[in-house]
Amino acid sequence: MGKPEFLELLAFHLGPLHIGATVLTTWLLMALLVGFVWFGTRRLSVDSPSRLQMALEGTVLALQQAIEDTAPGNDARLLPFIGTLWLFIAAANLMGLVPGLRSPTGDLSLTVALAMLVFLSVHWFGIRIDGLRAYLRHYLDPNPILLPFHLLGEVTRTLALAVRLFGNMMSLEMAALLVLLVAGFLAPIPLLMLHIVEALVQAYIFGTLALVYVAGALQSHELNKKE
Amino acid sequence: MEFDLTTFILEVINFLVLVWLLKHFFYRPVLAVIEKRQAETAKTIADAAAMRREAEGLKSECLGRLAGVDQERVAARAGLAEEIAAERVRRLAAVETEVNTDRQRRQMLEARERSEHEAALEREAVTIAARFASRFLDRLAGPELEAKLVELALSELDALAPEKLDALRDTSVSIKVVSAYPLDDAQRAAFTLALGRLAGRTISPEFSDDAVLKAGICIMAGSWVLMANLRDELSFFSGNFDHGG
Repeated sequence: MGKPEFLELLAFHLGPLHIGATVLTTWLLMALLVGFVWFGTRRLSVDSPSRLQMALEGTVLALQQAIEDTAPGNDARLLPFIGTLWLFIAAANLMGLVPGLRSPTGDLSLTVALAMLVFLSVHWFGIRIDGLRAYLRHYLDPNPILLPFHLLGEVTRTLALAVRLFGNMMSLEMAALLVLLVAGFLAPIPLLMLHIVEALVQAYIFGTLALVYVAGALQSHELNKKE
Repeated sequence: MEFDLTTFILEVINFLVLVWLLKHFFYRPVLAVIEKRQAETAKTIADAAAMRREAEGLKSECLGRLAGVDQERVAARAGLAEEIAAERVRRLAAVETEVNTDRQRRQMLEARERSEHEAALEREAVTIAARFASRFLDRLAGPELEAKLVELALSELDALAPEKLDALRDTSVSIKVVSAYPLDDAQRAAFTLALGRLAGRTISPEFSDDAVLKAGICIMAGSWVLMANLRDELSFFSGNFDHGG
């Protein structure tokens, strides 16, 4: 898009595989996240927690509470996946603020990968809890006629999930680039604020929708149990 | 931005790896710490509740002890009041006894003083009476009265008990007859005769006169004395004289 991208220069081929900027940015992001949490959790204290530990505990408790509110009783099972989605997407969206880097969520390949993982996780949790037969039976409820619409809904919501995040982040960066081209360096601060807000909102939306989809699958299990 | 299959696959793998890493290095340890702290908090709350229950138990026990102490205090006060009342009764009895003793002693002293006073008054009255009688008899004293007293003495000699006549029978003892006025011969003879009859022998008494007797006679034979005169009678009347007979 004309924006200088440092990691594009480091892209390489590993046999038939092309390791591009998105993958490299993701690896960098993963390293930063894992390094940060390792640094924050290496000296956990029960009696006298540090400020960083309290921040990490607050983050985990907030994620756990959000999951508990949507899918009661499943916070321990869903926290690793949903929590990681929130943290990863928020951090990935904010990577665009770093000069020379670009948000990896602006790459359709990554958003599709995340959406596909959400799609698979919904069925994974549903089948794991309900069993394959009982889980597949819910596609026939309340009437087998609705099966095509159920399948269509599964595909479209996954597609929407992927395209929404990709479109928003790509358009945000393009809009920011256009504004910068038109207004020069007169409005960098509002653009940065807009980027931050948009990054966090899109992360929240993606993670919440994924949670809602998974909670829907778990709720169908509860309904089957009641019936 | 076109779709790249390699990127897609690698991102799937990346995310799954990230989920695993965060699960093992972030969520699990942080949740463990939170759970441990919650357990400690619950334990602290449970300990506090137990301590509170224990404190309430101690409080109730303390209140019970205080109630017991109050009861003991009331009982001790009642006992003390009883002891005080008994001691008061005892001391009052002792004081009453002492007062009665003092009263009796005072009454005895008063009685003795009164009797002494009465005796003094009596003595004074007797003295006055004796003085009066002495003055009165001084006027009446004379030979006529002495004659009557002589007759009285002679009649008393006749009525003497025999055991009192041993002094008269003793021959070694001289018999004296003293009168206020000189006796005439007849009177002397009557005495000599009467005394001789009593002594059972012939005697010759010594006759003398002494105005101190005022009137009458006094017969002396050794330690035996017969008084029939105003002086001795007045002395006898006033209690200062012993009849001796």
